[in-house]
Amino acid sequence: MTQEKRAYKRDVVIEVTASLMFPFILLFGLYVMMGTGGTGGGFQGGTILATGFILYITVFGTDKGREKMPESVNVFFKSFGLFLYNGAGWLCILFSLATAQWLNMPAFWPVTEFTGIAGARGFLIAYMISVGIGLTVMASFVSQYFDLSMKEDDEMDGDEG
Amino acid sequence: MMEWLIQHVLEKYNFWIAMLIIIIGLTATIVKENLLKKLIGLSIFQTAMFLWFVSLGDVGRNILTTWGLKTGTPPILWEQAAEKGYIYVNPLPNVLMLTGIVVSAATTAVALAIVIRIYQKYGTIEEDEIIEKEKEFERVGG
Amino acid sequence: MKPLTISGFITAILLIALSIYVVEDLPAFGDENSPVNKYVKLFNVDADGLVESLNAGILPLQIKIKIEDMGFNKEENYPTLEEGNYRIEWSEKGSFEGGRLSEGGWDVLINEGEIFYNELIRYYFIKEENRNLTVYRYNFPVRINELTEEETATINIVTAGLADYRGYDTMGEETVILTGAIGVILLLRRRGRL
Repeated sequence: MTQEKRAYKRDVVIEVTASLMFPFILLFGLYVMMGTGGTGGGFQGGTILATGFILYITVFGTDKGREKMPESVNVFFKSFGLFLYNGAGWLCILFSLATAQWLNMPAFWPVTEFTGIAGARGFLIAYMISVGIGLTVMASFVSQYFDLSMKEDDEMDGDEG
Repeated sequence: MMEWLIQHVLEKYNFWIAMLIIIIGLTATIVKENLLKKLIGLSIFQTAMFLWFVSLGDVGRNILTTWGLKTGTPPILWEQAAEKGYIYVNPLPNVLMLTGIVVSAATTAVALAIVIRIYQKYGTIEEDEIIEKEKEFERVGG
Repeated sequence: MKPLTISGFITAILLIALSIYVVEDLPAFGDENSPVNKYVKLFNVDADGLVESLNAGILPLQIKIKIEDMGFNKEENYPTLEEGNYRIEWSEKGSFEGGRLSEGGWDVLINEGEIFYNELIRYYFIKEENRNLTVYRYNFPVRINELTEEETATINIVTAGLADYRGYDTMGEETVILTGAIGVILLLRRRGRL
Protein backbone atom coordinates (compact mmCIF):
# COMPACT_ATOMS: atom_id res chain seq x y z
CA MET A 1 0.00 0.00 0.00
CA THR A 2 1.33 3.38 -0.90
CA GLN A 3 -0.96 5.41 1.34
CA GLU A 4 -0.52 5.06 5.07
CA LYS A 5 -3.40 5.12 7.54
CA ARG A 6 -3.53 8.10 9.83
CA ALA A 7 -5.16 8.33 13.20
CA TYR A 8 -6.20 11.96 12.66
CA LYS A 9 -7.32 14.13 9.80
CA ARG A 10 -4.88 16.34 7.96
CA ASP A 11 -5.03 20.02 8.79
CA VAL A 12 -3.62 22.65 6.49
CA VAL A 13 -2.89 25.27 9.16
CA ILE A 14 -0.76 22.98 11.33
CA GLU A 15 1.22 21.60 8.42
CA VAL A 16 2.03 25.00 6.91
CA THR A 17 3.02 26.45 10.30
CA ALA A 18 5.34 23.57 11.12
CA SER A 19 7.06 23.57 7.76
CA LEU A 20 7.57 27.34 7.98
CA MET A 21 8.92 27.34 11.55
CA PHE A 22 11.34 24.47 11.02
CA PRO A 23 14.29 26.32 9.34
CA PHE A 24 14.09 29.30 11.71
CA ILE A 25 14.31 27.11 14.78
CA LEU A 26 17.39 25.43 13.31
CA LEU A 27 19.00 28.81 12.61
CA PHE A 28 18.33 30.05 16.14
CA GLY A 29 19.77 26.87 17.61
CA LEU A 30 22.96 27.33 15.61
CA TYR A 31 23.24 30.92 16.87
CA VAL A 32 22.83 29.88 20.50
CA MET A 33 25.37 27.07 20.13
CA MET A 34 28.29 29.33 19.21
CA GLY A 35 27.44 31.83 21.91
CA THR A 36 30.55 32.72 23.82
CA GLY A 37 30.17 36.39 23.07
CA GLY A 38 26.94 36.32 25.02
CA THR A 39 24.55 33.76 26.39
CA GLY A 40 24.63 30.21 25.13
CA GLY A 41 26.70 27.08 25.11
CA GLY A 42 26.89 23.56 23.84
CA PHE A 43 24.07 21.86 25.74
CA GLN A 44 21.55 24.64 25.23
CA GLY A 45 22.10 24.92 21.47
CA GLY A 46 21.95 21.18 20.98
CA THR A 47 18.54 20.85 22.60
CA ILE A 48 17.11 23.72 20.57
CA LEU A 49 18.25 21.99 17.37
CA ALA A 50 16.65 18.75 18.53
CA THR A 51 13.39 20.61 19.22
CA GLY A 52 13.10 21.67 15.60
CA PHE A 53 13.39 18.11 14.35
CA ILE A 54 10.96 16.77 16.94
CA LEU A 55 8.34 19.34 15.90
CA TYR A 56 8.63 18.26 12.27
CA ILE A 57 8.37 14.57 13.11
CA THR A 58 5.34 15.05 15.36
CA VAL A 59 3.34 16.87 12.69
CA PHE A 60 4.25 14.88 9.61
CA GLY A 61 4.79 11.34 10.86
CA THR A 62 7.89 9.20 11.04
CA ASP A 63 8.07 8.29 7.35
CA LYS A 64 8.40 11.86 6.17
CA GLY A 65 10.62 12.66 9.13
CA ARG A 66 13.04 9.95 8.01
CA GLU A 67 13.65 11.85 4.79
CA LYS A 68 14.89 14.88 6.72
CA MET A 69 17.20 12.88 8.95
CA PRO A 70 18.14 9.53 7.43
CA GLU A 71 19.82 6.85 9.47
CA SER A 72 23.34 7.28 8.11
CA VAL A 73 23.38 11.04 8.76
CA ASN A 74 22.16 10.45 12.31
CA VAL A 75 24.92 7.98 13.07
CA PHE A 76 27.50 10.29 11.50
CA PHE A 77 26.52 13.24 13.70
CA LYS A 78 26.48 11.15 16.84
CA SER A 79 29.99 9.86 16.40
CA PHE A 80 31.48 13.03 14.89
CA GLY A 81 30.57 15.14 17.90
CA LEU A 82 32.11 12.64 20.28
CA PHE A 83 35.19 12.37 18.08
CA LEU A 84 35.83 16.13 18.15
CA TYR A 85 35.67 16.54 21.91
CA ASN A 86 37.14 13.26 23.07
CA GLY A 87 39.93 13.49 20.52
CA ALA A 88 41.02 16.86 21.89
CA GLY A 89 40.72 15.69 25.47
CA TRP A 90 42.69 12.47 25.12
CA LEU A 91 45.41 14.24 23.13
CA CYS A 92 45.81 16.67 26.02
CA ILE A 93 46.06 13.90 28.58
CA LEU A 94 48.61 12.09 26.43
CA PHE A 95 50.84 15.06 25.71
CA SER A 96 50.92 16.45 29.21
CA LEU A 97 51.33 12.98 30.81
CA ALA A 98 48.14 13.35 32.90
CA THR A 99 49.25 16.35 34.94
CA ALA A 100 47.35 19.17 33.23
CA GLN A 101 44.78 21.24 35.10
CA TRP A 102 42.76 22.35 32.09
CA LEU A 103 42.66 21.29 28.48
CA ASN A 104 46.27 22.09 27.75
CA MET A 105 46.11 21.97 23.97
CA PRO A 106 47.24 25.58 23.36
CA ALA A 107 50.66 24.75 24.71
CA PHE A 108 51.72 22.96 21.55
CA TRP A 109 49.32 24.32 18.95
CA PRO A 110 50.54 26.51 16.06
CA VAL A 111 47.65 28.98 16.45
CA THR A 112 49.05 30.30 19.73
CA GLU A 113 51.79 32.18 17.94
CA PHE A 114 49.22 34.60 16.53
CA THR A 115 46.78 35.11 19.36
CA GLY A 116 48.48 34.10 22.58
CA ILE A 117 47.32 31.48 25.05
CA ALA A 118 44.12 33.30 26.06
CA GLY A 119 42.93 33.63 22.48
CA ALA A 120 43.73 30.01 21.76
CA ARG A 121 41.68 28.85 24.72
CA GLY A 122 38.80 31.01 23.58
CA PHE A 123 39.02 29.51 20.11
CA LEU A 124 38.99 26.01 21.56
CA ILE A 125 35.93 26.70 23.71
CA ALA A 126 33.85 28.39 21.02
CA TYR A 127 34.53 26.30 17.95
CA MET A 128 35.63 22.85 18.93
CA ILE A 129 34.04 22.00 22.25
CA SER A 130 30.64 23.64 21.85
CA VAL A 131 30.12 22.23 18.35
CA GLY A 132 31.10 18.77 19.54
CA ILE A 133 28.69 18.81 22.46
CA GLY A 134 25.85 20.30 20.41
CA LEU A 135 25.98 17.76 17.59
CA THR A 136 26.06 14.76 19.93
CA VAL A 137 23.17 16.02 22.04
CA MET A 138 21.01 16.79 18.99
CA ALA A 139 21.61 13.49 17.24
CA SER A 140 21.07 11.34 20.30
CA PHE A 141 17.81 13.04 21.31
CA VAL A 142 16.39 12.76 17.76
CA SER A 143 17.37 9.10 17.57
CA GLN A 144 15.71 8.35 20.91
CA TYR A 145 12.51 10.06 19.75
CA PHE A 146 12.44 8.02 16.54
CA ASP A 147 12.80 4.75 18.43
CA LEU A 148 10.15 5.52 21.01
CA SER A 149 7.52 6.52 18.46
CA MET A 150 8.00 4.08 15.61
CA LYS A 151 4.98 1.87 14.94
CA GLU A 152 5.42 -1.62 13.57
CA ASP A 153 3.59 -2.82 10.47
CA ASP A 154 3.00 -6.43 11.42
CA GLU A 155 2.05 -7.21 15.00
CA MET A 156 4.33 -9.63 16.82
CA ASP A 157 2.59 -10.86 19.96
CA GLY A 158 4.34 -11.67 23.20
CA ASP A 159 7.74 -12.51 21.81
CA GLU A 160 10.81 -13.63 23.64
CA GLY A 161 12.37 -10.82 25.60
CA MET B 1 9.42 31.72 68.96
CA MET B 2 8.72 34.74 66.78
CA GLU B 3 12.40 35.32 66.24
CA TRP B 4 12.98 31.71 65.19
CA LEU B 5 10.11 31.99 62.74
CA ILE B 6 11.40 35.16 61.13
CA GLN B 7 14.99 34.09 60.95
CA HIS B 8 14.61 30.53 59.84
CA VAL B 9 11.36 30.41 57.92
CA LEU B 10 10.83 33.80 56.34
CA GLU B 11 14.37 34.42 55.15
CA LYS B 12 14.92 30.95 53.75
CA TYR B 13 11.72 30.56 51.83
CA ASN B 14 13.49 29.00 48.83
CA PHE B 15 14.33 25.96 50.92
CA TRP B 16 10.75 25.46 52.09
CA ILE B 17 9.22 25.74 48.64
CA ALA B 18 11.75 23.34 47.12
CA MET B 19 11.29 20.91 50.02
CA LEU B 20 7.53 20.84 49.44
CA ILE B 21 7.98 19.83 45.81
CA ILE B 22 10.61 17.24 46.80
CA ILE B 23 8.20 15.62 49.26
CA ILE B 24 5.44 15.54 46.63
CA GLY B 25 7.73 13.93 44.04
CA LEU B 26 9.21 11.31 46.35
CA THR B 27 5.91 10.11 47.79
CA ALA B 28 4.48 9.91 44.27
CA THR B 29 7.33 7.58 43.31
CA ILE B 30 6.67 5.32 46.26
CA VAL B 31 2.90 5.26 46.54
CA LYS B 32 1.56 5.04 43.01
CA GLU B 33 1.23 1.67 41.31
CA ASN B 34 1.15 2.63 37.66
CA LEU B 35 4.64 2.54 36.17
CA LEU B 36 4.28 5.74 34.16
CA LYS B 37 3.12 7.69 37.19
CA LYS B 38 6.20 6.58 39.05
CA LEU B 39 8.37 7.99 36.29
CA ILE B 40 6.56 11.30 36.42
CA GLY B 41 7.18 11.49 40.18
CA LEU B 42 10.89 10.83 39.65
CA SER B 43 11.12 13.65 37.11
CA ILE B 44 9.38 16.09 39.48
CA PHE B 45 11.81 15.14 42.26
CA GLN B 46 14.88 15.75 40.11
CA THR B 47 13.64 19.13 38.89
CA ALA B 48 13.03 20.38 42.42
CA MET B 49 16.56 19.36 43.45
CA PHE B 50 18.04 21.43 40.63
CA LEU B 51 15.86 24.40 41.59
CA TRP B 52 17.08 24.39 45.18
CA PHE B 53 20.74 24.05 44.34
CA VAL B 54 20.72 26.87 41.80
CA SER B 55 18.86 29.16 44.20
CA LEU B 56 21.74 28.93 46.67
CA GLY B 57 23.80 31.20 44.45
CA ASP B 58 21.40 34.10 44.10
CA VAL B 59 22.75 37.35 45.47
CA GLY B 60 21.17 40.60 46.54
CA ARG B 61 17.69 39.50 47.47
CA ASN B 62 16.26 40.10 50.94
CA ILE B 63 12.61 39.75 51.74
CA LEU B 64 12.67 42.03 54.77
CA THR B 65 14.38 45.10 53.33
CA THR B 66 13.89 45.11 49.56
CA TRP B 67 10.73 42.95 49.38
CA GLY B 68 12.64 40.38 47.33
CA LEU B 69 12.68 42.53 44.20
CA LYS B 70 16.30 43.50 43.76
CA THR B 71 18.66 40.85 42.40
CA GLY B 72 22.04 40.50 40.77
CA THR B 73 22.75 40.34 37.06
CA PRO B 74 23.45 37.07 35.18
CA PRO B 75 27.09 35.95 35.21
CA ILE B 76 28.13 37.46 31.88
CA LEU B 77 30.77 40.15 32.15
CA TRP B 78 29.83 43.60 30.91
CA GLU B 79 31.56 46.87 31.50
CA GLN B 80 28.82 49.09 32.89
CA ALA B 81 28.17 46.84 35.86
CA ALA B 82 30.69 48.69 38.03
CA GLU B 83 29.18 52.11 37.39
CA LYS B 84 25.59 51.14 38.07
CA GLY B 85 26.35 49.06 41.11
CA TYR B 86 25.26 45.57 40.05
CA ILE B 87 26.64 42.39 41.55
CA TYR B 88 27.18 39.21 39.55
CA VAL B 89 25.29 36.10 40.53
CA ASN B 90 27.46 33.17 41.68
CA PRO B 91 28.25 31.13 38.55
CA LEU B 92 29.30 27.88 40.23
CA PRO B 93 25.89 26.26 40.99
CA ASN B 94 24.73 26.85 37.40
CA VAL B 95 27.81 25.13 36.03
CA LEU B 96 27.45 22.07 38.23
CA MET B 97 23.76 21.55 37.56
CA LEU B 98 23.84 21.77 33.75
CA THR B 99 25.22 18.28 33.37
CA GLY B 100 22.70 16.97 35.86
CA ILE B 101 19.79 18.19 33.75
CA VAL B 102 21.00 16.35 30.67
CA VAL B 103 21.66 13.17 32.66
CA SER B 104 18.08 13.19 33.94
CA ALA B 105 16.75 13.53 30.38
CA ALA B 106 18.78 10.57 29.14
CA THR B 107 17.73 8.42 32.11
CA THR B 108 14.05 9.17 31.49
CA ALA B 109 14.39 8.05 27.86
CA VAL B 110 15.92 4.68 28.79
CA ALA B 111 13.27 4.15 31.48
CA LEU B 112 10.50 4.78 28.94
CA ALA B 113 12.04 2.19 26.61
CA ILE B 114 11.97 -0.37 29.45
CA VAL B 115 8.29 0.39 30.13
CA ILE B 116 7.46 -0.23 26.46
CA ARG B 117 9.14 -3.64 26.57
CA ILE B 118 7.30 -4.59 29.77
CA TYR B 119 4.00 -3.71 28.10
CA GLN B 120 4.83 -5.82 25.07
CA LYS B 121 5.52 -8.86 27.23
CA TYR B 122 2.84 -8.71 29.95
CA GLY B 123 0.02 -6.63 28.49
CA THR B 124 -0.47 -4.23 31.43
CA ILE B 125 1.43 -1.53 33.23
CA GLU B 126 -0.12 -1.89 36.69
CA GLU B 127 2.29 -3.32 39.17
CA ASP B 128 0.10 -5.81 41.09
CA GLU B 129 -1.14 -7.47 37.90
CA ILE B 130 2.45 -7.92 36.74
CA ILE B 131 3.33 -9.60 40.05
CA GLU B 132 0.39 -12.01 39.69
CA LYS B 133 1.36 -12.95 36.16
CA GLU B 134 4.95 -13.51 37.28
CA LYS B 135 3.75 -15.91 39.98
CA GLU B 136 1.66 -17.80 37.42
CA PHE B 137 4.67 -18.13 35.15
CA GLU B 138 6.67 -19.64 37.97
CA ARG B 139 3.92 -22.09 38.90
CA VAL B 140 3.32 -23.30 35.38
CA GLY B 141 7.02 -23.70 34.73
CA GLY B 142 8.12 -20.65 32.74
CA MET C 1 -4.77 0.34 54.05
CA LYS C 2 -2.22 -0.94 51.62
CA PRO C 3 1.40 -1.19 52.75
CA LEU C 4 2.56 1.21 50.01
CA THR C 5 0.38 4.03 51.37
CA ILE C 6 1.71 3.55 54.88
CA SER C 7 5.30 3.70 53.68
CA GLY C 8 4.48 6.88 51.76
CA PHE C 9 3.22 8.55 54.93
CA ILE C 10 6.30 7.47 56.88
CA THR C 11 8.58 8.90 54.16
CA ALA C 12 6.80 12.25 54.17
CA ILE C 13 6.97 12.58 57.96
CA LEU C 14 10.66 11.64 58.01
CA LEU C 15 11.49 14.20 55.36
CA ILE C 16 9.65 16.98 57.21
CA ALA C 17 11.51 16.16 60.44
CA LEU C 18 14.83 16.09 58.59
CA SER C 19 14.20 19.49 57.03
CA ILE C 20 13.42 21.13 60.37
CA TYR C 21 16.62 19.67 61.76
CA VAL C 22 18.74 20.87 58.85
CA VAL C 23 17.37 24.38 58.33
CA GLU C 24 19.51 26.08 60.96
CA ASP C 25 22.73 25.49 59.07
CA LEU C 26 21.66 26.80 55.71
CA PRO C 27 22.57 30.29 54.44
CA ALA C 28 19.85 32.88 54.04
CA PHE C 29 18.41 33.48 50.60
CA GLY C 30 20.20 36.21 48.72
CA ASP C 31 22.92 36.79 51.28
CA GLU C 32 26.04 38.27 49.72
CA ASN C 33 28.38 37.23 52.46
CA SER C 34 27.34 33.63 52.97
CA PRO C 35 30.05 30.93 52.70
CA VAL C 36 28.73 29.86 49.31
CA ASN C 37 29.11 33.25 47.71
CA LYS C 38 31.86 35.31 49.18
CA TYR C 39 33.69 34.40 52.34
CA VAL C 40 33.90 32.02 55.25
CA LYS C 41 34.24 33.40 58.78
CA LEU C 42 37.26 32.20 60.71
CA PHE C 43 37.56 33.85 64.13
CA ASN C 44 37.31 37.04 66.25
CA VAL C 45 40.16 38.88 67.90
CA ASP C 46 40.25 41.88 70.25
CA ALA C 47 41.55 44.98 68.50
CA ASP C 48 43.80 46.65 71.02
CA GLY C 49 46.86 47.84 69.20
CA LEU C 50 46.54 45.88 66.03
CA VAL C 51 45.00 48.51 63.77
CA GLU C 52 48.22 50.53 63.50
CA SER C 53 50.27 47.55 62.44
CA LEU C 54 47.65 46.64 59.85
CA ASN C 55 47.78 50.13 58.44
CA ALA C 56 51.54 49.90 58.22
CA GLY C 57 51.36 46.72 56.17
CA ILE C 58 52.40 44.03 58.64
CA LEU C 59 50.20 41.22 59.85
CA PRO C 60 50.24 41.09 63.68
CA LEU C 61 51.56 38.00 65.44
CA GLN C 62 48.37 37.08 67.27
CA ILE C 63 46.40 36.69 64.03
CA LYS C 64 49.21 34.82 62.35
CA ILE C 65 49.56 32.24 65.13
CA LYS C 66 45.84 31.66 65.28
CA ILE C 67 45.58 31.14 61.54
CA GLU C 68 48.34 28.56 61.60
CA ASP C 69 46.76 26.79 64.53
CA MET C 70 43.55 26.35 62.59
CA GLY C 71 45.34 24.26 59.98
CA PHE C 72 46.29 26.72 57.28
CA ASN C 73 50.01 26.02 57.46
CA LYS C 74 52.80 24.92 55.17
CA GLU C 75 52.36 21.16 55.49
CA GLU C 76 48.92 21.22 53.99
CA ASN C 77 49.93 23.45 51.06
CA TYR C 78 48.60 26.73 52.34
CA PRO C 79 50.66 29.91 52.03
CA THR C 80 53.03 30.87 54.86
CA LEU C 81 52.50 34.36 56.15
CA GLU C 82 56.05 35.56 56.58
CA GLU C 83 57.37 39.01 55.78
CA GLY C 84 57.52 39.72 52.09
CA ASN C 85 55.07 37.02 51.04
CA TYR C 86 51.97 39.13 51.30
CA ARG C 87 50.64 42.62 50.85
CA ILE C 88 47.88 44.43 52.70
CA GLU C 89 45.50 46.79 50.95
CA TRP C 90 42.65 48.90 52.24
CA SER C 91 39.36 48.99 50.31
CA GLU C 92 36.62 51.40 51.16
CA LYS C 93 32.98 50.65 51.77
CA GLY C 94 30.94 50.70 48.58
CA SER C 95 33.84 50.48 46.18
CA PHE C 96 33.56 47.94 43.45
CA GLU C 97 36.37 45.61 42.58
CA GLY C 98 36.21 42.46 40.53
CA GLY C 99 32.47 42.07 40.46
CA ARG C 100 31.67 42.45 44.12
CA LEU C 101 30.78 45.27 46.49
CA SER C 102 33.25 45.58 49.32
CA GLU C 103 32.62 46.69 52.86
CA GLY C 104 35.41 48.63 54.48
CA GLY C 105 38.31 46.38 55.41
CA TRP C 106 41.79 45.18 54.75
CA ASP C 107 42.61 42.63 52.01
CA VAL C 108 45.57 40.32 52.41
CA LEU C 109 47.04 39.49 49.00
CA ILE C 110 49.50 36.63 48.55
CA ASN C 111 52.40 37.18 46.16
CA GLU C 112 53.30 35.05 43.19
CA GLY C 113 54.94 31.70 43.54
CA GLU C 114 53.70 30.94 47.03
CA ILE C 115 50.96 28.44 46.31
CA PHE C 116 49.96 26.52 43.24
CA TYR C 117 48.54 29.46 41.29
CA ASN C 118 51.44 31.50 40.02
CA GLU C 119 49.89 34.90 40.41
CA LEU C 120 48.71 37.56 42.83
CA ILE C 121 45.66 36.28 44.66
CA ARG C 122 43.32 37.67 47.32
CA TYR C 123 43.24 35.38 50.28
CA TYR C 124 42.15 36.82 53.63
CA PHE C 125 39.85 39.69 54.61
CA ILE C 126 39.92 41.53 57.92
CA LYS C 127 37.08 43.73 59.08
CA GLU C 128 36.69 45.88 62.17
CA GLU C 129 33.43 46.19 64.09
CA ASN C 130 32.66 46.88 67.76
CA ARG C 131 36.30 46.82 68.82
CA ASN C 132 36.74 43.34 67.37
CA LEU C 133 38.70 42.28 64.36
CA THR C 134 37.02 39.53 62.37
CA VAL C 135 39.09 37.47 59.96
CA TYR C 136 37.46 35.94 56.89
CA ARG C 137 38.77 33.80 54.05
CA TYR C 138 37.78 34.31 50.43
CA ASN C 139 36.04 31.65 48.43
CA PHE C 140 36.32 30.64 44.76
CA PRO C 141 33.72 32.89 43.09
CA VAL C 142 35.81 35.97 43.91
CA ARG C 143 38.72 34.66 41.89
CA ILE C 144 36.56 33.45 39.01
CA ASN C 145 34.83 36.78 38.51
CA GLU C 146 38.10 38.67 38.38
CA LEU C 147 40.25 36.50 36.18
CA THR C 148 38.00 34.93 33.55
CA GLU C 149 38.53 37.64 30.96
CA GLU C 150 42.31 37.37 31.21
CA GLU C 151 42.75 33.63 31.07
CA THR C 152 40.13 32.70 28.52
CA ALA C 153 38.95 35.26 26.02
CA THR C 154 35.25 34.65 26.68
CA ILE C 155 32.86 36.78 28.66
CA ASN C 156 30.43 33.95 29.38
CA ILE C 157 31.53 32.60 32.76
CA VAL C 158 29.22 29.58 32.70
CA THR C 159 30.53 28.27 29.38
CA ALA C 160 34.11 28.92 30.41
CA GLY C 161 33.51 26.99 33.61
CA LEU C 162 31.95 24.04 31.76
CA ALA C 163 34.32 23.78 28.83
CA ASP C 164 37.62 25.03 30.17
CA TYR C 165 37.99 24.80 33.94
CA ARG C 166 35.85 21.67 34.19
CA GLY C 167 36.58 20.26 30.77
CA TYR C 168 37.20 16.67 31.79
CA ASP C 169 33.83 16.38 33.54
CA THR C 170 32.00 17.40 30.38
CA MET C 171 34.04 14.92 28.39
CA GLY C 172 32.68 12.07 30.48
CA GLU C 173 29.20 13.57 30.35
CA GLU C 174 29.07 13.29 26.57
CA THR C 175 29.84 9.58 26.80
CA VAL C 176 26.85 9.21 29.11
CA ILE C 177 24.54 10.84 26.55
CA LEU C 178 25.78 8.55 23.78
CA THR C 179 25.31 5.51 26.02
CA GLY C 180 21.71 6.54 26.60
CA ALA C 181 21.05 6.62 22.87
CA ILE C 182 22.71 3.22 22.36
CA GLY C 183 20.66 1.76 25.22
CA VAL C 184 17.39 2.75 23.59
CA ILE C 185 18.52 1.28 20.27
CA LEU C 186 19.40 -2.06 21.85
CA LEU C 187 16.10 -2.33 23.71
CA LEU C 188 13.65 -1.42 21.00
CA ARG C 189 14.84 -2.47 17.57
CA ARG C 190 13.72 -5.80 16.21
CA ARG C 191 15.48 -7.79 13.57
CA GLY C 192 16.17 -6.21 10.21
CA ARG C 193 14.39 -2.91 10.64
CA LEU C 194 16.79 0.01 10.35
